[in-house]
Amino acid sequence: MMFAMFRVMLLRLLRDRGALAMTFLLPPLVFVIFATVFAGSSGENIKLKLVIADQARTPASGRLVEALLQDGHLRSVPADPSTIKGVRRQVREGKADAGLIILSDPAGAGTPFLIITDTTRAMAAPMTRGRIQAALSERLPDVVLSKTLSLVEPVYDPSAAQQARARAVIEGVRDDVQAGRAVPADQDQFAVEAISGAGKGRGTITYYAGAVTILFALFSAVNAAMTLIEERRAGVADRILAGAAGMTPALNGKFLFIVLQTMLQACAIFFVAQLIYDTQVRSHLWPWLATSVCVGVCAAGVALGIVSLHRNRDQAQLVSTFLILLLAAVGGSMVPRFLMPPWLQTLGLFTPHVWAIDAYQALLWRDAELTSVYPAWGILVGIGLAGLLLAHVMARLVRR
Amino acid sequence: MSDSRPILNVWGAELSHGARKILRGVDLTLRPGEIYALLGPNGAGKTTLIHAICGRMKLSKGDIALEGQNPWSTPVCRAALGLVPQNIALYNHMTVAENLQTFGRLAGVRGRALRDAVARAIHLCRIADRENEPIGRLSGGYRRRVNIACAILHGPRLLILDEPMVGVDPDAREALDGVIRDLRDAGVCVLMITHDLDQAGDLADRVGFLREGRKVMEGSPRGLITQAFGEELEILVQLDEDPDSNDEIVLNAAGLERRGKTNVWTTLDAGGYATAGRLDSTLRRAGVTPREIRVRQPSLHNLFTLVADWQDAA
Repeated sequence: MMFAMFRVMLLRLLRDRGALAMTFLLPPLVFVIFATVFAGSSGENIKLKLVIADQARTPASGRLVEALLQDGHLRSVPADPSTIKGVRRQVREGKADAGLIILSDPAGAGTPFLIITDTTRAMAAPMTRGRIQAALSERLPDVVLSKTLSLVEPVYDPSAAQQARARAVIEGVRDDVQAGRAVPADQDQFAVEAISGAGKGRGTITYYAGAVTILFALFSAVNAAMTLIEERRAGVADRILAGAAGMTPALNGKFLFIVLQTMLQACAIFFVAQLIYDTQVRSHLWPWLATSVCVGVCAAGVALGIVSLHRNRDQAQLVSTFLILLLAAVGGSMVPRFLMPPWLQTLGLFTPHVWAIDAYQALLWRDAELTSVYPAWGILVGIGLAGLLLAHVMARLVRR
Repeated sequence: MSDSRPILNVWGAELSHGARKILRGVDLTLRPGEIYALLGPNGAGKTTLIHAICGRMKLSKGDIALEGQNPWSTPVCRAALGLVPQNIALYNHMTVAENLQTFGRLAGVRGRALRDAVARAIHLCRIADRENEPIGRLSGGYRRRVNIACAILHGPRLLILDEPMVGVDPDAREALDGVIRDLRDAGVCVLMITHDLDQAGDLADRVGFLREGRKVMEGSPRGLITQAFGEELEILVQLDEDPDSNDEIVLNAAGLERRGKTNVWTTLDAGGYATAGRLDSTLRRAGVTPREIRVRQPSLHNLFTLVADWQDAA
């Protein structure tokens, strides 16, 4: 009996091209968009667009502008017109991520740089600052030395001969840089180590693969669960309820179908993730499959539970969309959780999204022990079974 | 009608929704191989009684025995029951055969037994020529037949039809009548809820009138009509157009009552054709020209009106 309902659901999906596209085409597409946007913004590929206005017009400022224009980590453009107003307008209009005004000679005293950023681009100011400092230390070390010397000289009161030697050293450094003899990398005090090794995939990609999977699993599950209301309206439920077995096998058949649908959806998303971003699904196939089953159980239970509480489709659609979007926002399916304030991160623990994303990340990115994902699996399955139980209880009430 | 053991017994069924009493002591006995039409105005309690028989509602008082067992407390006995809902309760995205297989499996039939049941239902309901067509492409009459076919796959001894003729054209209706009679002849007991009194009169072996939760009359259609009207005949006066208020006064004065919202006015009189002639003269003299005057045996319509009048008077 259960498989009869499973077949009804399967044929319904297979014969509806729109539903097929929404279920299996849209989620990977959205995942690719999210992955492209967020992997770029948090990874090494980020290239800030910087608009530069050189008001000082000194040799040092000219060398700095040249260094920034050649910086491979930036997309720098000279401002036209090179005024503060023009730079501000470009940043405000979103044509640039940040603006740099060189107010006075970088080698001179005071504050020679003004960085202009939009508050919505929180990372732009520190990144611009970092690139300027890198340019100064790598391409204009003589300017930095000269500035440092001007700070130190009053304390040590060097003789004229000492001052001449120091100037000679500075000029030597400048000549080395201009001749390309200085190797900036050698002067770099920082080394960077990624916590995941090569070929382990990227955290953000795995994060969004999980986030998109649970988000679309719920949407597709609700769409499938809506058949409960359609069957009630058409009288099919009356027919089934009049039978000896009642709604139990029908509900279980729907549940089973939604679990399978979610697994196939997860396959589509992670297949793309493996293909484009080398997410390590193949090497963790069984734990990944188990996680997808748990996500499917959760989505199926939640969807059947929500839909069973409503008598008409419009009402169920409204409430489920509201709930799914809210859970997605709090649970980190839209914006990474690490960007959220702590109280919102704690609140997120009450959504299935957090546990689904965490389980996928633990397995595919952090390469964690299987035991560490048991709690996530348990919570996902628990939520799903609670939803299924609710649907069964509601079906018994509808019987009356 | 067979005299075998009853398939359904309802004793003193009472059911309330809050303070409102829906059923007030209904008794009903149905036997295999009969067609029973349950009649009554909206709100009479017909659907509630059907829900109780299907085990979806628990009686406040009284008892129901479907093949000797209570369908509420012993769901397994509902295997003897087939329900044809008023709506077309089918999956539109599936073909006729796929629907039959699905509902057969949902009723617990499988394997060879399912194949045989599908073939039998297709034959009984005369839908073999459209077996592989999606439900969405079928006409209303065919859908009604498939609707019935899906309810008989598990071989129910009691088939409940809820308004089986809604939205069906006369040709399709004739075909459906044939299907219902064939089922009756195959030994199935058919319990039919309908507002279509003509169909009930034509098809039913017995009818029961339900009003305000009580069964007020029961018996064979002809027997009940004879009992209620004796030698009286129904005289029907058909008008061309809606009468104005003056015409209505004339028609009422002649003892005629309007039938529903139609242009047909009726009365019952033992005088038959003689009374019809007198009526024709009276009406023409008063300026009302009937298009047609017919005389016929009273029908369930008259009985229904009579029952309603008794209740109103009470």
